[in-house]
Amino acid sequence: MTTNNYIIDIQHVYKFFNNLVALKNISLQIKPTEKVVILGPSGSGKSTLLRTINRLEKIDRGKIFVNGQDITHPKCDINKIRMEVGMVFQNFNLFPHKTVLQNITMAPIKLKKIPENEANELAISLLKKVGIEDKAHVYPGQLSGGQQQRVAIARALAMQPKVMLFDEPTSALDPEMIGEVLDVMVNLAKEGMTMVVVTHEMGFAKEVADRIVFMDAGEILEQGTPDHFFNNPNHPRAKQFLSQIL
Amino acid sequence: MKDNKQKVQIEVSDGAAIPTKKDFGLFTAWHITLIAALSILLYLVIRYPDPYLDILEFVSDGIVVTFEITFVSIFFSLILGLLTGLGRLSKNKCINLIASIYVEVIRGIPLLVQLFYIYYALGSFFKVPPFVAAVTAMSICYGAYMGEVFRAGIESIDKGQTEAARSLGFNTKQTMFYVIIPQAMRTILPPVGNEFIALLKDTSLVSILAVGDLLRRGREFATESFAYFETYTMVALIYLLITLLLSKLVSITEEKMRPYDN
Repeated sequence: MTTNNYIIDIQHVYKFFNNLVALKNISLQIKPTEKVVILGPSGSGKSTLLRTINRLEKIDRGKIFVNGQDITHPKCDINKIRMEVGMVFQNFNLFPHKTVLQNITMAPIKLKKIPENEANELAISLLKKVGIEDKAHVYPGQLSGGQQQRVAIARALAMQPKVMLFDEPTSALDPEMIGEVLDVMVNLAKEGMTMVVVTHEMGFAKEVADRIVFMDAGEILEQGTPDHFFNNPNHPRAKQFLSQIL
Repeated sequence: MKDNKQKVQIEVSDGAAIPTKKDFGLFTAWHITLIAALSILLYLVIRYPDPYLDILEFVSDGIVVTFEITFVSIFFSLILGLLTGLGRLSKNKCINLIASIYVEVIRGIPLLVQLFYIYYALGSFFKVPPFVAAVTAMSICYGAYMGEVFRAGIESIDKGQTEAARSLGFNTKQTMFYVIIPQAMRTILPPVGNEFIALLKDTSLVSILAVGDLLRRGREFATESFAYFETYTMVALIYLLITLLLSKLVSITEEKMRPYDN
């Protein structure tokens, strides 16, 4: 069983793609309000690991507890867990047939049965928070990438999740739009949201992370505070990774 | 933003030529054909009311029947098509197999043979009125084709849409009906419109089942009056006009279905 202090408790997780080991004996515990940034070269399994937390990716061995519930158990109601775990994708994945407002209110109205006017108020306040309340009634196709990603963050927040997962949220953005999305994420972190972030933005990692997790070839090779990781990492792969990007 | 998504167009192969926006100029094949067909029809009816006006009056109830069969069959074939399309995409092997076999069987048998089979072969066990047999056969046949259209339309929606909906907590069914199908409708509409027109034309086949559709009524007139040339000219012109107008209607609807495009 799990000790109840962790909001996410990943225990000895393995995942295979055919013969390839995508995740190899991963264990990772995350406490409420903690900000964990997962770094590593591409193909290292960072996104796969993140996606196992809300079971978008199924695991082959091990256990994952979210909020004390075993999500690998066949009887687990994964939809209920997912309502408490917000996710932001690299490609935004907004619903193009709905307006910005409807994108945000859809899940609260349909899943939490919140009255429409309340959901609209919530959506407007979230849009204010991400700085685009004037775009409430346009369709996502009319927004820039940075604006779309901020709407996607608002959409996830509308379910009032306990944890937010970010899967390379700025990788599909033009450079001048990265800042506006990161600002929203920094503010969210300051408000005490529990966050797990896969990113290549080292500045963000240094500023926000309580803990850096470094992965390569499906394994966690090193974890520690940003200060430790960026200034004197122990593992040679981590040293090599840092020398390549910094 | 990468917009390689949602630009999928399903190949249109049968039915009728549905005008696309770039053909919207004044003199397109569609306009010329419409004007020509309409002028010939009006000329014949006005200049030679005997027999052309008589023919028109005689077959007019057939036109109604043709539309009735078309609309009822479209309605049922859309329902059947949606179920088949979802069945073909189902992870449940049994459902998937049933849907696939249905499509294989129906696509492999000519519609005329299906009509004979349902009315005469099965008719020896369950006697049904010709209209019911006609609509049943048309719906079953077109349900299979619609199924393929629905499947292709649903498959054309980016996987990220499903992931986004699921990650918010929607279950598979909610994801399908709130997120995937509304988007697939845009891709599905042109081929569905096309099937609709093809179905209307294929209703002429039901005239062999003693259903008084347009062609059947024409044949009745022709055998009585021996005016074969005149009768079938009128019948052909009427079918052509209906198809031309419907194809226009489909293309207008298609344009209207694009509120979030820009």
